[in-house]
Amino acid sequence: MDKYEKLEKVGEGTYGKVYKAQDKTTGQLVALKKTRLEMDEEGVPPTALREIALLQMLSQSLYLVRLLCVEHVDNKNGKPLLYLVFEYLDTDLKKFIDSHRKGPNPSPLAPTLIQSFLYQLCKGVAHCHSHSVLHRDLKPQNLLVDKDKGILKIADLGLGRAFTVPLKSYTHEIVTLWYRAPEVLLGSTHYSTGVDMWSVGCIFAEMVRRQALFPGDSELQQLLHIFRLLGTPSEDQWPGVSSLRDWHEYPQWKPQNLARAVPNLEPEGVDLLSKMLQYDPASRISAKAALDHPYFDSLDKSQY
Amino acid sequence: MGDLETISSGTPLEMPKVINFLSSLLEKVAEANDNNRDLQQQKISVFHGLTRPTISVQSYLERIFKYANCSPSCFVVAYVYLDRFAQRQPCLPINSFNVHRLLITSVMVAAKFMDDMYYNNAYYAKVGGISITEMNFLEVDFLFGLSFHLNVTPNTFHTYCSYLHREMLVETIPLSLSDSTLSLGKSLKLHCCFNEDETSHQHQLAV
Repeated sequence: MDKYEKLEKVGEGTYGKVYKAQDKTTGQLVALKKTRLEMDEEGVPPTALREIALLQMLSQSLYLVRLLCVEHVDNKNGKPLLYLVFEYLDTDLKKFIDSHRKGPNPSPLAPTLIQSFLYQLCKGVAHCHSHSVLHRDLKPQNLLVDKDKGILKIADLGLGRAFTVPLKSYTHEIVTLWYRAPEVLLGSTHYSTGVDMWSVGCIFAEMVRRQALFPGDSELQQLLHIFRLLGTPSEDQWPGVSSLRDWHEYPQWKPQNLARAVPNLEPEGVDLLSKMLQYDPASRISAKAALDHPYFDSLDKSQY
Repeated sequence: MGDLETISSGTPLEMPKVINFLSSLLEKVAEANDNNRDLQQQKISVFHGLTRPTISVQSYLERIFKYANCSPSCFVVAYVYLDRFAQRQPCLPINSFNVHRLLITSVMVAAKFMDDMYYNNAYYAKVGGISITEMNFLEVDFLFGLSFHLNVTPNTFHTYCSYLHREMLVETIPLSLSDSTLSLGKSLKLHCCFNEDETSHQHQLAV
């Protein structure tokens, strides 16, 4: 680990601190995710084990954060440590959106940037899904962004903690329900790739609105937020919904016009969003199909 | 997974067939490598016991199955890991001195990666008859030895199930030098151990 110089602590992950660091010889910036391996009863934390194994398999994609290496070292007290060395990106999508909403000069995200970010996100999700991996925790905090290059990458695979997230918001974010698909909220046990596509839809809308589409603060409130915009789901729309474990009789809302929730989004974008927010997971658009949607026709795909 | 049903079936009093299949296969491999020892430059790995454990592979696996309470598919996955380990560590032969430690470690890692509910390392150490410190060392060495290549696709899983099943239909597996392998179709030399760097626990994995 002597080859890296720690520059600053940038966050706290599920299983340890995260540092921004620099490779002393090459100058490359990296993120070091530190995992303490106390010689205790647990051994290697299962979250670390899964993250390494999944990223090791998936991180050849440009749209997933690159795991550069894993190092096992003893600290100065002789305690074993595991370091995950990631490429470093300067911000995440949550902070990026916040800077467009709160900063000195609030301004919407450029439509071409939203289009490009969404395309990269769908590329990354399609890559995970093609390897039978569900992310399950897609949210703006878990999407790393290189502002200058306009690059977006998926991080925190299958376990949830973005390593650029500041510590103080930890407890709130870990319980965030805003991107959770209705089938998960309703207690479905056999969910699939559709859960990630729902999250992608919510993230898409959030880039346009600069605020969350469904900001629920409890599982019930989360469902009601969704129902109020998209209408209370029916058996016709979503066969089997009323037999899901946590289904109850809900107030009957009629669907609102989705375009009004995402002002200034072009009609093709609204169409793609509506396909990502289909109630029935089986009819929700796949990441691969989304890449071919007309919304991306104006994008120069050759650069991706 | 028709194959899994076949090999994991059995009454509650009976061991799933995967246990028999796997122990029989490993016993043959270990025996073959024991006999080939003269031909190989053996180094001592962390998995290598000072003495040959007296408990048979079959009894040891049955013990793990009885107490670990993990799904039978974990044993198939453990077998996939052992095979990958052998391929990545071509100088570590599975022999009667290390097969037990490799087994308890591979089943534990499989359960940790695959199952939502699993026992911790301390519990596996007790089941395996080793100390928790040793269990933790074995885990790290096994993970690095596998380069953390833990994911098993349904397709791979299916292939290994069929392989285990097919092996058991063959009454005697002809064992020659080049056949003493765990791998599928590939001829492997199962030998080796960790180099000095690794035994001093300065692991590094370039992904």
